[in-house]
Amino acid sequence: MLKTTLAGLRAHKLRLILTSLAITLGVGFISGTFVLTDTIQAGFTQSFTAAADKVDVAVIPAKDEKRSQEGPLTVPMELLDRVKGVEGVAAAVGVGRERTALIGKDGKVVGSMVTTWGVPVVEGELNRTEIVTGRAPKAGNEAVLDESTAKTRGFTVGETITVLDVRQQKHRFTLVGLFKLGVDQELSHGGAVGYTSETFQRMAQPTGFREIDVLAKDGVSAETLRAAVAAAVGAKGEAITGQTLMEKMADGNGVEIDFITYGLLLFGAVAMLVAGLVIYNTFNILVAQRTREMALLRCIGSTRSQVFRSILLESAVVGLLASVAGLLLGLGLGAAAIQVINATGSPMPAGTVTLTVTSTAAGLLTGLVVTVVAALLPARAATGVAPIAALRTQVEENAFRSGVLRWVFTGLFLILGVGVTVAGITMPPGAGGLFTVAGGGVLVFFAVLIIGPVLVKPLSRLTGFLPAYLFGVPGRLAVDNSTRNPKRSATTTIALTIGVTLMTLISVVSASVQASSDARLDRQYPVDYVLMAIGDREATIPRSVAETLRTKPEFGTVVAFREHTRPVTTDNNSFVSVGTIVGPIKTIAQEGWTGDPGPDQAILSLGTAGKLGVKAGDTMEIKTRSGRMEKVTVSGTYDREKMPGSDVLLQESTFHRYYGATEDIRVVVKMTDGAAPEAARKVVESVIADLPTVQVSSTTEIRGEFNDSINNVLMVMAGLLGLAVLISLLGIANTLSLSVHERTRESALLRALGLTRPQLRVMLSLEAFVLGLIGALIGVVLGLVFGWAAVQTMQDKPIFQAAPLHIAAFIVLSGLAGVLASLLPARRAARASIVNSLASG
Amino acid sequence: MTLTDIHREAPPAVVARSLTKVYGQGDAAVHALRGVDVAFTTGAFTAIMGPSGSGKSTLMHCLAGLDTVTSGSVHIGDTVVTGLSDKELTMLRRDRIGFIFQAFNLLPTLSAEQNIRLPLDIAGRQADPALFDRVVDTVGLRDRLSHKPAELSGGQQQRVAVARALIGRPQVIFADEPTGNLDSRSGAEVLSFLRTSVRELQQTIVMVTHDPVAASYADRVVFLRDGLLVSDVHQPTPQIIHDTLMKLES
Ligand SMILES: Nc1ncnc2c1ncn2[C@@H]1O[C@H](COP(=O)(O)OP(=O)(O)OP(=O)(O)O)[C@@H](O)[C@H]1O
Ligand SMILES: [Mg+2]
Repeated sequence: MLKTTLAGLRAHKLRLILTSLAITLGVGFISGTFVLTDTIQAGFTQSFTAAADKVDVAVIPAKDEKRSQEGPLTVPMELLDRVKGVEGVAAAVGVGRERTALIGKDGKVVGSMVTTWGVPVVEGELNRTEIVTGRAPKAGNEAVLDESTAKTRGFTVGETITVLDVRQQKHRFTLVGLFKLGVDQELSHGGAVGYTSETFQRMAQPTGFREIDVLAKDGVSAETLRAAVAAAVGAKGEAITGQTLMEKMADGNGVEIDFITYGLLLFGAVAMLVAGLVIYNTFNILVAQRTREMALLRCIGSTRSQVFRSILLESAVVGLLASVAGLLLGLGLGAAAIQVINATGSPMPAGTVTLTVTSTAAGLLTGLVVTVVAALLPARAATGVAPIAALRTQVEENAFRSGVLRWVFTGLFLILGVGVTVAGITMPPGAGGLFTVAGGGVLVFFAVLIIGPVLVKPLSRLTGFLPAYLFGVPGRLAVDNSTRNPKRSATTTIALTIGVTLMTLISVVSASVQASSDARLDRQYPVDYVLMAIGDREATIPRSVAETLRTKPEFGTVVAFREHTRPVTTDNNSFVSVGTIVGPIKTIAQEGWTGDPGPDQAILSLGTAGKLGVKAGDTMEIKTRSGRMEKVTVSGTYDREKMPGSDVLLQESTFHRYYGATEDIRVVVKMTDGAAPEAARKVVESVIADLPTVQVSSTTEIRGEFNDSINNVLMVMAGLLGLAVLISLLGIANTLSLSVHERTRESALLRALGLTRPQLRVMLSLEAFVLGLIGALIGVVLGLVFGWAAVQTMQDKPIFQAAPLHIAAFIVLSGLAGVLASLLPARRAARASIVNSLASG
Repeated sequence: MTLTDIHREAPPAVVARSLTKVYGQGDAAVHALRGVDVAFTTGAFTAIMGPSGSGKSTLMHCLAGLDTVTSGSVHIGDTVVTGLSDKELTMLRRDRIGFIFQAFNLLPTLSAEQNIRLPLDIAGRQADPALFDRVVDTVGLRDRLSHKPAELSGGQQQRVAVARALIGRPQVIFADEPTGNLDSRSGAEVLSFLRTSVRELQQTIVMVTHDPVAASYADRVVFLRDGLLVSDVHQPTPQIIHDTLMKLES
């Protein structure tokens, strides 16, 4: 039996290749993901190991739930001397990290949300900073910069750079070297400037260390030293070995790697699902076409189980070969992705391409299992072939009738799916609702899968109307042919449907998110310019800015926001932000602003009021800067959707009494009617020209940035889903070529009766076009419905936007893609000799 | 009217001169036709007979422009078939030739009527309604027009094929063993339709057959052996045909 199977496979190389390609692509994607993440993981481990080798013991901040709310935990500075005094310590350094903002060549702070870090470059063996160009800073007026910031901002060694210290004072340094950011995700987010330890103290004025690194004397084991250090620091810090430190760092980064892995694997799974459908369909057709062959085998004494096994064997061989090819493809894809990552200079430690044994096995097994499972049903159908079928001359047309059972199951899944979806929609907005809707979507998809063969006919009438009208006989025949075998057509198109559904869903959701964010910005920012300070919480805008702007005739309304830099404790032990608004806020926040707060009154955002469980008229206590609890009366609430602001808003004088006369954190301005936007912008820019941390953006810019980022996400997702679509196109090509093969004699007859070669090609292409359109149509409907449902779960007052242009493009492209898939089979069919084809069968 | 009179009155519809056809090359070459000279009279029903492998189907395919010839020429009416491009051949078949094959003559997705009209539809021509009615009634398919081929018997399917070949009023109809798959009664029906169409519509028909009885419906039978025309019988009877065949096969 094995011999028969293998001979059969060899005899149909092309079919084998087409079938395998679907699996190969899926497995290639999955193993490519593994290659990528394995390589990055290996790079991380390598870097961390290198780091851990240098440090024997590290002291990290003791855990403190409460304090961690107020900012990153630190190790008290006085511990350093204590640690240095411990027996067996060769050297110890405190490592800190604060935001010290580098000023770019445009005079503005580098970075849009966060500024660059400042770090000390320690001397001696404990140095973990890798200088790649130049040298480490030695004097107080020297500094080094990370490579990638230097590259993007155009700084070179020897230049002078200007950096703001934590008090926003400018300092100038000579750039003496560039260093590698390495694997530190926190540092890589923003870039970093390195100083000598003393300069760092001066610039950053840290109140504690992030970490104290300790080097053991020769002959002192890390564990012994750890115990000694632990005893010395007591409860003020936690002493761990370098090994543990490495594991902790790896864990932190591992989360991100896992995120990438799972994200990519999700797309891989979709691709494999589509590949499974393609395989299922292919084997179904093969079984149908080989009915006679198999019946003959049965006639000469093969048992049912032998027939079954021979088909499974064939699928296993196909699956294995395809998976091996996929693995190779994956290696190539992964390597290419790593090249891209390296070229873009992202802080991923990508070294040599790595593929672990587990990942290899996972890739191979996925391909094999999907193929064999997809072939199970067709194989079972093959066992039903009666020996007598060998004697029938004509293979029966696969007559299809929609049985009661089909309707019952469709109804069941549909009702269930709709029920779950509705339940998801009615849930409060959030991930729970979204996942429920996704579950409902899967159920409804099953309903569509089951009822697919019934849908094919009416849908092909619908989509085939125009082609049949335009192309005459070839068009009409194409539409007829597309539904000749409804089951086959349904499976072929559903494979495409999956990709189109997800693409539609994503574009609908992102269009809706965009629309609602636009709407929110419309409501929230009826202002023209927003001035913000970049940097950490301490970053502020001098009050003089708002005051100067108020004197300018271009601006009618100038409103300043102030906020206490630290979270404030309330009487029921929550943390809230407390701020005040200076200026005619009423003219901006028309609705939803109940009125300015009076003395010792507070206005709460709706969310805060809910969280604290208070309403207008209640009183609450807040901790002031001096540590006293002060009572304020809640005078009203406001909608943060309509106006951004602190959790708790006080009257200006009350705020100043409790938290001091702070600077502004945000200033919004509105132009007077008739003021020229360009001139107004120039005025704003001139006012903030000397303030590197203050950035101005117009509301249109804010909107544009947001829309850009959504579009980027959309493109990446579409690209990843493209694979699933590509595989489904292979499915169309495969189905079509098998159908063409089945109808060889028919095509020859048509040619004999006067159908030209181009007409025959058009006929086959139109068939694929109709199939593509059917798949797209179902996909678009599903995508729209569930896109709508998903949007309902995402916001309180969702705005639904259908993205009609994208959808039209999906439909047209699917049809054209179908045509593309048909080109090869159609060419072969048109080339076939009429006489030979007539004689075949 | 003598035979020579017929020749004089009507020019031949199809003429083949020194037709040869070689399949394959070198040692594997098969000489299916070795120089056939034959003319088929307009408005006549001619049968081609011969032992299996003698080249009957090959001759028919070459005459109908379905296959290329190795050397020699074929004329249909004034047109030189040999040397036409694929597109011109397709047009020729579509507009001027009718076909009836042994089996699988019909498109399974189309109804009987659609199958009958198919060549005209492909050409974008309208069927002459009077002719359509006449043909449909002649072949007796009036109440079967909306049926799909799967719902028709083998004999009915062949009658649909005959109707399809007749409806375009082609210059010549080629039939390759049209009754090969039918029982004798259905076969006789189909053959008498063919003969009726020759008599009443002056249709030219060239038919390949194995069956002496089928051949006896024709006005003339030509015999092939090993790719050569070896005998030519006018107004044949089953007995003469049978005797000639026996002689050829011995
Ligand atoms: N495509 C082909 N390639 C090679 N040889 C062929 C091909 N078609 C036919 N032949 C050979 O040409 C010769 C004539 O074949 P043809 O089909 O014309 O015979 P036939 O008279 O129609 O026979 P039958 O009565 O069995 O149908 C045969 O020897 C056959 O083997
Ligand atoms: Mg033959």
